[in-house]
Amino acid sequence: MANRGGPGGRPNGTAQQQQGGGGGGRICQFKLVLLGESAVGKSSLVLRFVKGQFHEYQESTIGAAFLTQTLCLEDTTVKFEIWDTAGQERYHSLAPMYYRGAQAAIVVYDVTNQDTFGRAKTWVKELQRHASPNIVIALAGNKADLSNKRNVELDEAKAYAEENGLLFMETSAKTAVNVNEIFQEIGESIVGLFVLVVGIQICRSEQSRLNYVSKIVYSLWYRK
Amino acid sequence: MDEEYDAIVLGTGLKECILSGMLSVSGKKVLHIDRNQYYGGDCASITPLEELFKRFGAPSPDETYGRGRDWNVDLIPKFLMANGLLVKLLIHTGVTRYLEFKSVEGSYVYKGGKISKVPVDQKEALASDLMGMFEKRRFRNFLMFVQDVREDDPRTWKDLDPNTTTTQQLYNKFGIDKNTQDFTGHALALYRDDEYLNDPAVQTVRRIKLYSDSLARYGKSPYLYPMYGLGELPQGFARLSAIYGGTYMLDKPVDEIVIENGRAVGIRSGNEVARCKQVYCDPSYVVDRIKKTGRVIRCICLMDHPIPNTRDALSTQIIIPQKQVNRRSDIYVSQVSYTHQVAAKGWFIAMVSTTVETDEPEAEIKPGLDLLGPVKQKFVIVSDYFEPTDNGLESQIFISTSYDATTHFETTCLDVLDIFKRGTGEDFDFSKVKLELGEEEQ
Repeated sequence: MANRGGPGGRPNGTAQQQQGGGGGGRICQFKLVLLGESAVGKSSLVLRFVKGQFHEYQESTIGAAFLTQTLCLEDTTVKFEIWDTAGQERYHSLAPMYYRGAQAAIVVYDVTNQDTFGRAKTWVKELQRHASPNIVIALAGNKADLSNKRNVELDEAKAYAEENGLLFMETSAKTAVNVNEIFQEIGESIVGLFVLVVGIQICRSEQSRLNYVSKIVYSLWYRK
Repeated sequence: MDEEYDAIVLGTGLKECILSGMLSVSGKKVLHIDRNQYYGGDCASITPLEELFKRFGAPSPDETYGRGRDWNVDLIPKFLMANGLLVKLLIHTGVTRYLEFKSVEGSYVYKGGKISKVPVDQKEALASDLMGMFEKRRFRNFLMFVQDVREDDPRTWKDLDPNTTTTQQLYNKFGIDKNTQDFTGHALALYRDDEYLNDPAVQTVRRIKLYSDSLARYGKSPYLYPMYGLGELPQGFARLSAIYGGTYMLDKPVDEIVIENGRAVGIRSGNEVARCKQVYCDPSYVVDRIKKTGRVIRCICLMDHPIPNTRDALSTQIIIPQKQVNRRSDIYVSQVSYTHQVAAKGWFIAMVSTTVETDEPEAEIKPGLDLLGPVKQKFVIVSDYFEPTDNGLESQIFISTSYDATTHFETTCLDVLDIFKRGTGEDFDFSKVKLELGEEEQ
């Protein structure tokens, strides 16, 4: 019934679970949106993650605003559908459609530019207002290779992230530091949530639900 | 914004967003501005519900309406024909990937004071009370002719050139009675009035084919509706435009279109001027270049039940042919529900609309309102229908017409394609949409 072009699938959908052939395990598909000021390196992060490339003079985003990449986490294949802002963030003109159905977001700032960190906080608030309540948000301090010109302290960002329940890493699209890692962590975090939600739905009795939740919480706690 | 653009587009209604997308895809440098802080203009879906009530000066909704954020209420009711122009535009431009659609469950037509389902297959047609047994046979012969006829192949014409005969003559040839004519012209060919009877039959044939091809795609009705409301459509095309380099500014007042030697050369907002070669806009940005040619009434009805006698359909369209209620133009009723993410759980939104014919537009839609059962909240919008006073070639200001009372987007798309052709001198080339857009599958 859903009518869409291309095999890419369902950007607005909730997590999909399919039994994968051969490779075993399940496949989860998620919509991930990028946010942050212009020129902090949103597109560069994605380009590094999806294609392993970096261009020093990356043009403002044109043409490729919808990329996909898969990650394998133990028995789960995570397929990210990554939405770039296509420049619509510049004059605060992002459409509500952009946030719609997103299960994850990376809010990017530039470690050499304090303003972009301030703006990142505004984007986080925006997400909390517009996006679904259980969205996983990661904060990325990009351009970590320029840390000698740093204007945003690592501890400051870390403290802010912890206070607001965000995943956090300093990344460099240029040197690839922490790029795969941040996507990996997001993937694990969503899959964890997903397993939890599906698991709760499967449990029939109140008691088994309680047992299940406490088991998950216990395992998450000790993995940290 | 102090730059030079190929085109500046004003207003983010659906027509302007499609145009903006097509222009950007064609390599034009586009600046797209809206004075509102939201996308969609008249095509927006209003959210949260409090905002809708405020808009009409009503006291805030009580808690029975659920969470205000769960509502996305359209101001202009329309459905997409599954095989229509808008779906083609959506698919060819790749904008479908941002949207999700549901098929509308049923289409009904009003006859003799009650509504009957428009049959979607032979079984339903045989059981239908829309026409008698012998009439059904004549109608079937007519439909078979419509299916088989090729406009350019005289062997399929059965001695009746569809290009020169009128629809009335075509009906007469098959001996179809007035009731069936009403049904065919209004519920299948989706004409708004009876002027089509004297136009070449080929147009009616095309429209019936569009209906049946659309029906063939999903089976239940020929219509589709996007999740989260029609306001998603302009957003999708705006994103297309942005992806191809279009610049977006919301919440930006437009004070003036700057004219030099009779041609538009830019727009002014406060002290800023953005220069351009062309302006594309909706009528509200150029009040001195448009004329009023009619009025449309639309009534939004919030209900906690589906429309009666529709088998509890979660989405429906009902057409009230003009003759049935002694009018010159049809009345349309459409209904969507919480299953489309446009209302809180358990709620339904019905819309009754028509072209205004008298000084009492609200009285005109009564036959439609009477079909709905109890309505919790009603909002009435009577809006003027505007057309541009010229074709824009001289001034290079290309103005779209207001949205008409039709139930679907065919006229919307025709206006867009026509404006694009006037503005650029060529038809839109779909092959310019790069397929690597997104590079979905590696």
